[in-house]
Amino acid sequence: MNKAAFYDLDGTLLSCNLVTMHAYYARNDRSLIKSIYQFTKVLLSVPLLFGLDLYSRSLFNVFSFRAYRGMHRDRLIGLADDLFEVTLKPSIFPQAQVLINTTRDLGYRNVLVTGTLDFTIRPIALHFGIDEVICNRLEFKNHIATGHVLPPLLAENEKARSIREYSKEKGIDLAQSCAFSDSSADVPMLTAVGYPVATNPTRRLRRVALHKGWPILELRETSSIFPPFLRPAKAL
Amino acid sequence: MKSRTTWQFNPVRGEYQAGDPVPAQGTGEISAIDAFANKTMLLLGGTGFVGKVLLALALDRFPELKHLVVQVRRKKNMSGEQRFYSEVLQSPPLRPIVERAGGESVLRKKLQIVEGDLDQPLCGIPADQIEQLKGKVDIVVNLAGVVDFDPPVNESFETNVYGTQHLIELVKLLDVKLVHVSTSYVAGKKDGRIPENVPIESYFPLRDVPDERQFSVNQELKWYEEFIEEIRNTRGTNPRPARERLREGGMNRAQYWGWTNTYTYTKSIGEQLIANTPGLRYAIVRPAIVESSLRFPFAGWNEGFTTSAPLVLMGGEGVKGWPVRKDGPLEIIPVDLVASGILIVTAAVLCGKNKHVYHLASADQNPIMLPRLVAFLGMNSRYKHKHKKSGNRLANLWKAYVETQVITVESLQVRRARMHRGLDVIHAALTLGKTILGPDKISPYLKSLRDTRRQIRQQEITLDKFLPFMFHNSFVFETRNIREAAHMLTNEDLKSLQWDPEAIDWADYWVNIHTKGIEKWIRPVFTTRKA
Repeated sequence: MNKAAFYDLDGTLLSCNLVTMHAYYARNDRSLIKSIYQFTKVLLSVPLLFGLDLYSRSLFNVFSFRAYRGMHRDRLIGLADDLFEVTLKPSIFPQAQVLINTTRDLGYRNVLVTGTLDFTIRPIALHFGIDEVICNRLEFKNHIATGHVLPPLLAENEKARSIREYSKEKGIDLAQSCAFSDSSADVPMLTAVGYPVATNPTRRLRRVALHKGWPILELRETSSIFPPFLRPAKAL
Repeated sequence: MKSRTTWQFNPVRGEYQAGDPVPAQGTGEISAIDAFANKTMLLLGGTGFVGKVLLALALDRFPELKHLVVQVRRKKNMSGEQRFYSEVLQSPPLRPIVERAGGESVLRKKLQIVEGDLDQPLCGIPADQIEQLKGKVDIVVNLAGVVDFDPPVNESFETNVYGTQHLIELVKLLDVKLVHVSTSYVAGKKDGRIPENVPIESYFPLRDVPDERQFSVNQELKWYEEFIEEIRNTRGTNPRPARERLREGGMNRAQYWGWTNTYTYTKSIGEQLIANTPGLRYAIVRPAIVESSLRFPFAGWNEGFTTSAPLVLMGGEGVKGWPVRKDGPLEIIPVDLVASGILIVTAAVLCGKNKHVYHLASADQNPIMLPRLVAFLGMNSRYKHKHKKSGNRLANLWKAYVETQVITVESLQVRRARMHRGLDVIHAALTLGKTILGPDKISPYLKSLRDTRRQIRQQEITLDKFLPFMFHNSFVFETRNIREAAHMLTNEDLKSLQWDPEAIDWADYWVNIHTKGIEKWIRPVFTTRKA
C-alpha cells in the first residue's frame, strides 16, 4: 500500500494568503491608474475579508475569488512567475523544503492540497518539486474570469473528502499517510490521516492538537524537530 | 469539470485536470505501425530544427522501421558520418532518445549515414551508395531547404529550386515515393482562409488579378540564369556589392508575382517542379511557422531562428509598439506536431491513401490572436526587467511597467521618425559637448549612442521582415487533409503520433513553454552570435 503526505500551502509552507496574491495582480494591472484603482479596492476589502475568515474559511474563499472577476486569464498566467518571485518566494519558511524532501525520501507521495488557484500554484509546485496538486480553479468565459470557482470549492470538509477520493483512486492507505496544516479549518483533513501534524499552528489549532495529542511542528524556525514518524530512516 | 479526483498538471492545457485525457480514436484505415514495418526511409535535411525532432520521433516511436538512411552534408574537416554522430545525435532533442534506445551502438544498426548535398546532381550522393540504396529505400522524406526569408537569390535558388530538381532525379532513379516539406506561406500575399486544393501547377499569388501575367517554372529558371549572368557581368562596373543586388533581385521578383519573399517564392517553384513531374507519387507537407515543441522530446525545445524567436527576444528587450492586426491570428505550430504530421503523411503515402497537399497549422481549429501575443511579450518584459540588476534603472522601470501596445504601421513610422529625430538631437548635443568639454568626457556617451542606434536599426529590420505575417496579411490555413489522415490511423498509432492543435492552451504554451524555451535555447546562441 502506498502512502502520501498531504500539504496545505498558505501558512503551512509559506506565509502568504489569498489576499496578498490578489493584491499583487491588482498592483500590476495594465496601466498605473487601473493599478491604483484595483489596489485601493483590495485595501478596502481587507477588513471585511478578515472578519469573514474568522467566521468561515469557505465564505472567505468565495469572497476573495470574486475579486478576480473581469481579469484576463492570459494576465493571470503571464504574471504568475513574477508573483512567485515577488510575493511568494521570499515568504517560504526556512524548513519547508527540508520537510518536503524528508517525506519524499521516506517514500511518501507529496501532494499539495490547497485553496490557492492553479496558475499561482504552478511555480510553487515546481520550486518545491511536488508533482501532484489538488487545488481550486477559476471559471473563465472567453478567457475572462467570472469570479466563480469551479466546483467543488476546496476548503474545510471538502479537503478531507478530496484526499479520501484521491487515496481510493491511487491506492493509498490513509492510515499510513500524513498531513500538514496550520489552520483549524483543516482539522477534517488532519483527522482523515493516520499521522496529522499541526504545522506552525494557529492558536485554535494548537488547542485542538494538544487536546488530540498531535505533534506540533514549527517550520518558521531555522531548525525544527520533526515528529518521530519522520525520523525512522535516521534511526535505522 | 465537476470532478473531485486529483488534478494532475497537464502541460498541454496548462491546467490541473482531473484524470487522464481521453485518448484519440481513429478508424484504423491506415496503420502507421504496419506501414513502417520493415520499411526504409531516406531522410534529407535531418540535421535541421524539424529534422532532428522528426528523427527523434521516428527512432523513438517506430522501432518497426527497418532502416533510416540520413543524408548529411559534410563540413570543412568533418565527414557527414562524424558530423551526425558527434553533432546531431548529441544534440539536446536526440540525447534522451539515444539513452532510451539503449545507447548509440544500438542505433548504429538502424541508422545509415550517407554524405550528400542537395545543391549537387542526385543530391550529391556518391554513385556506389546510390546503387546500394536502389531497391532498399521505400520512401524519401525531404526537409532540406534554405529557410532565410531574403538571402541572395542564388542561395535560395540553388537549394530550393535546383535542389528540388536533384531530389526529383534521385526519387525517379530509386523509383520510390516522396514526401516533400514546403511552407504554408507559398500561398503568398493573400487574406483569409487558404484551402489545400488549389492547383500547384503555374500557381502565383496574383493570378486572380486580371492582367496578362502567366507564371511558368521554365520562365523563372530562364529569368534566374539571365539575372545571375547580368550580375556577373556588371560586377566590375556597378559600385553596389553583388550580394546586396542578388538579395534585392530575389525580393523584387518574388513581390512581382505576389509572394512575400524569396523564400516562399523559391519554395513554390520547388513544389511546382514536383507537381509537374509525371508519374511521381508524392505528398507536399506545408507547415506554418514552426515553434517550440509542445511535449516531445520535451516541452520547450527550440533552435529555429526563422520563427517568432527574434520577436520574442525583441519583446524581452522591452519593445513596446507592435504593428499587428487586431483580428488576425499568428499561424504557429509546435515542432513536435509538425514532426508527427509529417510521419502521419508518410504513413498515408506508404499506404497509397494520401492527398497531394497537407497544411500543418493551428488557426483553423484553435487560433491564437495577435493582440494576445503582444500582451504576453509585455508581461515577459515586465518579469525580466523587474528583476534585472544591470543596466539603466530608469530604462528598466520603463521596460517593466509600460505595457506593450498594438499599433498600426502608420503610427509605427511616426514613432520611428520621432525616435530618430530625438536621437539626432542627442547626437548633436553630444558633438557640441565634445568640442567644449573635450573628447575624454563625451566619447563614451557617443559610443553608447552609436550602439543603441545599431540595436534599434537591427530591431527595425527584423520587425519589417515579419510585417507580411503580422500586419499586411492575415491567413488561416485549412487543415482538413491532415485531420482526415490522422483520423484514418489506428488507436495504437494515435498514442505515438498526435495531431491535436485544438488541444493547445495558448496562454500556457506561450508563457510557460515557448517563451521559456526561447530564453533557454535561443537567447544564449543569439547573444554569442551578435558578439
